[in-house]
Amino acid sequence: MRVLTRSLEVWRLGVLNYLEALKLQEKLVTDRKSGKITDTLLSLQHPPTYTLGKRQTVHNLLVSESQLKSMGAELHYTQRGGDITYHGPHQAILYPIISLRDIGFGARKYVETLELTMIELASLHGVKAHAGESGETGVWVGERKIGAIGVRISSGITSHGVAFNIDPDLSYFEHIVPCGIADKEVTSLKREVDSDLPAEELIHEQLISCFVRLFGYNNVIWKDNPSLCDQQS
Amino acid sequence: MAMRMWASSTANALKLSTAIRPQFSPAFSLSRCFSTVLEGFKYANSHEWVKHEGPVAAVGITDHAQDHLGEVVFVELPDAGSVVSQGKSFGNVESVKATSDVNSPISGEVVEVNSKLSETPGLINSSPYEDGWMIKVKPSNPSELESLMGSKEYTKFCEEEAGH
Repeated sequence: MRVLTRSLEVWRLGVLNYLEALKLQEKLVTDRKSGKITDTLLSLQHPPTYTLGKRQTVHNLLVSESQLKSMGAELHYTQRGGDITYHGPHQAILYPIISLRDIGFGARKYVETLELTMIELASLHGVKAHAGESGETGVWVGERKIGAIGVRISSGITSHGVAFNIDPDLSYFEHIVPCGIADKEVTSLKREVDSDLPAEELIHEQLISCFVRLFGYNNVIWKDNPSLCDQQS
Repeated sequence: MAMRMWASSTANALKLSTAIRPQFSPAFSLSRCFSTVLEGFKYANSHEWVKHEGPVAAVGITDHAQDHLGEVVFVELPDAGSVVSQGKSFGNVESVKATSDVNSPISGEVVEVNSKLSETPGLINSSPYEDGWMIKVKPSNPSELESLMGSKEYTKFCEEEAGH
């Protein structure tokens, strides 16, 4: 019996500025489209950053852009789906640059599997999370949102991805209507777990493992702190 | 999905109009992947369709595509007068927090854009081959149609994709 090898290259990038991560993703999407590279997963965190999706729902930003700057946060307009959200330290981000055609996934199935990835991670810590109801894509613990999703699919290649709240400063969410949903709270793993959390690095690894398993990869290549200059050759 | 296919074929037999059926009744084949595939249309492997209507060709996404996207909540289309190229993106749709590019199956000039989609993006789900059309193009290279799939080929293509 021949087993099909599904390879994933995982890049652990630490804290990376939003625009740099975006530029990197754009390069990787081009390379993935031309078959130069295999499926790639970026694992990282951002400094305090607010982002808007394609629909530019600026009405869900409750403070001015200059007030954001004085808080030390950036604002970016993006091409991903979804509404406004916040990214910051102690929030685990995954940006998969993968080919959906290779696995026959449409947008809906892809997003459902991303939700499952975060739900599984939560359950590793004894937290019962669930996918949102229709129209409320994301991962919830009761009525509190613990994980957000916003992706872009171009010729079957994905970019952007998910943000899972390990222990970010949740007060940053007060300056927006998160994901455009007004009457629901945002939460974090730290808030939902009774005991101490293990080291964050471990939680990032667990999130990656859940992704690897749910997307059926059987060959993982780790690239830690890859030099971004490598990609220019 | 099996229920929907049954309802679709029954509705056709009774000449009934349902929310999921196009308003006209050309011959259509029921594919085993349970999405509607219509005769007389041409299909790209990125799941867009094109139908020649005289000097102009209408373009949209297939039933298979809309089903795999989920409920469409936002559609971004080019302006009339823009140029589109075969295989290149001309716009995008948003569903389940995913923005998916839509590629043009043919090259040419956009002569009309479906303005109903800004108010009612869900037409793409309920009527992907009829009311959910996205752009109309004056083809610059009609021979491009030959490189596209017919209904039988496209049906087979969907089945092969589903086999992953």
